[in-house]
Amino acid sequence: MNAVQYDKKLRLQLFIILCCSAIFVNIFGDYFTRFLLSEIIILSLFAMSLDFLAGRGGMISLGHAMFLGIGAYSTAILFINFNIDPFLCSLLAVVIGLIIGYLIGFIIVKTDGIFFIMITLALGEMFHSWAYTNDFLGGSDGISGILRPKLLGMDLNEPLFFSYYLLILLILVYAFLAAVTDSPLGRNLDAIRQNSGRVLSLGGSVKLYKSASFGISAAIASLAGSLYAQLNGFVSPEISHWTVSGEGLIMIIVGGIGSLSGAILGAVVVHIIQHEFSKLVDWWMLLMGGGFILVVLFLKEGLWGLILKFKNYIIENK
Amino acid sequence: MFITEILNALQFSMTLFLLSVGLTIVFGLMKIVNLAHGTLYMLGAYIGLSIWTFSDSFWLAFVFAPIATAILGALLYKVLFKFIQRVDPMRQVLLTFGLIYIGLDSVRLIWGSMSHSITTPELFSNPINIFGETYPTYRLFVILVGITVLLILYFVLEKTKMGAMVRASVDDHETSQMLGINTEKILFYTFSLGCGLAGLAGVTVAPIVGVEAGMDMEVLVLTLIVVVVGGPGSLKGALIGSLLIGFVDTFGKVFFPELALITIYAAMALILIFKPGGMYSRL
Amino acid sequence: MIISLQNISKSFGANNVLKNISIAIDKKECVGIIGPNGAGKSTLFKIISGSLFQDGGSIIFNDANIDKLSIEKRSRLGISQSFQSNSLFNEMTVKENIMVACSQSFKVGWELFKSLDKRTNIITKSYEIAEEVGLTEYLDFRSDNLSYGLQRQLEVGLAIANNPSLLLLDEPTAGMSNEETKNIVKMVKKLSTYYTTIIVEHDMDVIYSLAKKIYVLDSGDLIFDGTPNEVKNSKLVQERYIGIKQ
Repeated sequence: MNAVQYDKKLRLQLFIILCCSAIFVNIFGDYFTRFLLSEIIILSLFAMSLDFLAGRGGMISLGHAMFLGIGAYSTAILFINFNIDPFLCSLLAVVIGLIIGYLIGFIIVKTDGIFFIMITLALGEMFHSWAYTNDFLGGSDGISGILRPKLLGMDLNEPLFFSYYLLILLILVYAFLAAVTDSPLGRNLDAIRQNSGRVLSLGGSVKLYKSASFGISAAIASLAGSLYAQLNGFVSPEISHWTVSGEGLIMIIVGGIGSLSGAILGAVVVHIIQHEFSKLVDWWMLLMGGGFILVVLFLKEGLWGLILKFKNYIIENK
Repeated sequence: MFITEILNALQFSMTLFLLSVGLTIVFGLMKIVNLAHGTLYMLGAYIGLSIWTFSDSFWLAFVFAPIATAILGALLYKVLFKFIQRVDPMRQVLLTFGLIYIGLDSVRLIWGSMSHSITTPELFSNPINIFGETYPTYRLFVILVGITVLLILYFVLEKTKMGAMVRASVDDHETSQMLGINTEKILFYTFSLGCGLAGLAGVTVAPIVGVEAGMDMEVLVLTLIVVVVGGPGSLKGALIGSLLIGFVDTFGKVFFPELALITIYAAMALILIFKPGGMYSRL
Repeated sequence: MIISLQNISKSFGANNVLKNISIAIDKKECVGIIGPNGAGKSTLFKIISGSLFQDGGSIIFNDANIDKLSIEKRSRLGISQSFQSNSLFNEMTVKENIMVACSQSFKVGWELFKSLDKRTNIITKSYEIAEEVGLTEYLDFRSDNLSYGLQRQLEVGLAIANNPSLLLLDEPTAGMSNEETKNIVKMVKKLSTYYTTIIVEHDMDVIYSLAKKIYVLDSGDLIFDGTPNEVKNSKLVQERYIGIKQ
């Protein structure tokens, strides 16, 4: 894998720009744009978790939507069956995602390349079909009646507040993932992606680093799932279908793999194409599929790469 | 009832075999997982549908739909797959993922989003009586198609020079290239053949399952599982894997509908964890 | 004594690559292992580092048996190795390469989330190591942009990043020009004054100028050991090794 991005300054600059535009949209938007914004923020969380795993760790998961499902379903069950406070539900979903992710990671990180992709696909589909047939999880109908939290006297069922709540979480998760990326753990993950044998011979616990990162990534995906359930008020098995993971990977490729804030940009672009173009043209899937292929083939560093070129161009011409 | 289920399982296994054999050999040769393989299966069914509608002959569809998908496969190879062999696995997988969308939308634009069906050919319209149970003859024909393809492939792979070269390329790509085997050409032909077989699977099951957009997704994951469980690159693996998955799926749905698919995925996960190369790995 | 190999044997199928090899190495000693191709020196090297396990015999390191320990555990005990072919982190700069190598022993806790670039102790350490292997000028170069010789130097730099108590160097001069060889010999000579070093080498001159003691392997047997002078004058070695070479 080549061209994994590591430019801390540009990463932060892009993130700030994206956050500012989110605030702008939230202030001036209507109900629908705010809903769209909320969806995009949640997908950004998911894309960032995948970006950390695939971009930094080289672990390409085609079953990561399983953790979206785990987060969403545990939130639903904790809220409906155990009457737990919605905010606490999200926290618990993160913990559950972390534990399950770490355990799964511990077992599967020894596989590599295409086999890692296949095993995550198998596990993801296992969860999906389990959710689909399990009566406790509501089968193909899923579970509905999930409410959003009330925090500091604010009812987050009001879209304006919920978007801000999501934005704060996005900032926290970004700060956390950026810190992990720059930490010894993240740098070692980088090193493992490039040359895992050498990390072993330097005394690094490759397996521990990788499974810990898998757990971290799963926890964030699980948070995204929990928030998605609260946004929509219901959860269905579709959330954990493998194509959702595939779309997540597309987002990080479009945004620029390994750049973290590029993943958010990717989520914005891909989601808007999916949901807005489909209203404009009848053959949007054809466009999207073709677009993906062209980006994967010719825009190796994604939109991030373009931004980087643009930035360098400006610096040179100053 | 029991015999019916066995035959159903066998029929499903043979469909899976037709689908997975092309995928597995391409994987063995190129180390590429083609997620769009299911799309070619769907296209096989749709092209068959069109030929059947125009000519009113299932047999013309049966012959020409696979040829059409093989040609499509050849085109795909020439414009895309040829160039992505050195690309990292994620990009390969995502490229073929993009093809799924294109396939789905093309089918919808050309044939509409309604589901269609193809009538069973005259020859097999009457059910047959096997040990006191009536069974549709057409399904027996599907089994026969699968077995015929299996025997032909076995003969070609094991007994001919071409087959020996394919096997050598699967086992050791670089060495075969050094030995002067034209791996490029082998890749091209096996890829096209694999796509043709996917199309054959599509057109043969069309009278049973119907023709609709999304039929590719239903078989794709199962096909991938067959490939991985059987061991990429192995004909025997594809056969055993297809039988295993076909029978577990069919009988699972009858006896414990809730657990059937989960068992299959769990089996795949376990095999990958403990035997990362699959049961009959040639890698 | 820091490490002792006792009756190490290893075979691949019917091929006995190592037969009852016993070697003991003292602290601060610089030892060379030589032998013609296929003599088993690479296998021996891999058995010491832990990337292969022996069939028979045992390895005692600092009075503890390390037979069953994996490569990473041995590395944490202080057995560090450089590879015959460069094994670097290609997308990282020289500085980052060394910092990653230095960062393997961190404690679990909040400390984990502190940026690697802000850890003064690791940065100072990485400057020291860069200095040691002569790469101070190249700290911000991406490692895949370095010349081959400089990459070899970085290869050794990674190996000494964790203050090893035993340094294993696998053909440090492999594929180098004369000038580059001179540089690295000078460097290793300095390193060998404070690290216990085992060097596996093809180039006899390099070994003669570095090692205090030389073990000669031939077809899996330890046929001779002694000082460089003794090896030079040994008839047996000349017949079996140098004879073959010429």
